[in-house]
Amino acid sequence: MYGWIWRHLPGNVWVRALISLVLVLAVVYVLFQYVFPWAEPLLPFNDVTVDNQ
Amino acid sequence: MRVIVRTVSELCITVGTVIVLFVVYVLFWTGVKADDVMGDQIDQLQDQWSKGSVEQPRATGGAEASPEDPAPYKSGKPFAIMYIPRLGFTWNKPVLEGTATNTLKKGLGHYARTTQLGQQGNFSVAGHRRTYGDPFKDFPKLRRGDAVVLTDGTTWFTYRIDKGPYKTVPTDVEVIDPVPRKSGYTRSGRYLTLTTCDPEWGHSHRLIVWAHLDSTQPVEAGKPQALRR
Repeated sequence: MYGWIWRHLPGNVWVRALISLVLVLAVVYVLFQYVFPWAEPLLPFNDVTVDNQ
Repeated sequence: MRVIVRTVSELCITVGTVIVLFVVYVLFWTGVKADDVMGDQIDQLQDQWSKGSVEQPRATGGAEASPEDPAPYKSGKPFAIMYIPRLGFTWNKPVLEGTATNTLKKGLGHYARTTQLGQQGNFSVAGHRRTYGDPFKDFPKLRRGDAVVLTDGTTWFTYRIDKGPYKTVPTDVEVIDPVPRKSGYTRSGRYLTLTTCDPEWGHSHRLIVWAHLDSTQPVEAGKPQALRR
């Protein structure tokens, strides 16, 4: 999978490394900004009320 | 065959990394964000108060203040700051109206159907034990006699805890009744209830403390005794 991505990136090794880094950061950003805030309320840490509203 | 094994192992490593990142998010990042947001809420309140746009002028005649109905709080908006010296001298959190998930991310939440600050009845507040700044992390340390101080910009309200952490089940809505059954109070009064989850990282139970209104004083009179060092 990662090998396939690497082979399909343009440029020489340095350009590829740079693009990979940007891609990784983009994925982490999407996770922190959108995916985790969605998933976190599914965990039990939010249940602090007694009437569960 | 080799391609399949490699892809599967890469996927496993990826999933593992995402799980680690998620733990970092829950343990660390929600706290960073919440501290930021709670600071904003408090700034917003203090801005409002310094401009003198407090919703209603309130009679400040001690615990026997006139029973007029103040304006309702705006849902999801901060209206008070809470101080609990036992949880730390610098511990202060905004109190927002409502207990929706998004509201509790920004501070403590006031149960909308309970009474207002300082009024006859039971002013009830919920807060996170863990994650989102861990506001009630040290909840079990609260003891009888501890002060819970709140201000709405015009008045300081000092509540004193009467009954220390009481463990109950999540469906026990009676704990925020005007006269909570298990609290030991027998007649109506000006009470305060705090709720959070128990165990620390779980949701099987709730921890409760009850307090009564001990004293009030206008903000012009300075900080109440409980907050002076």
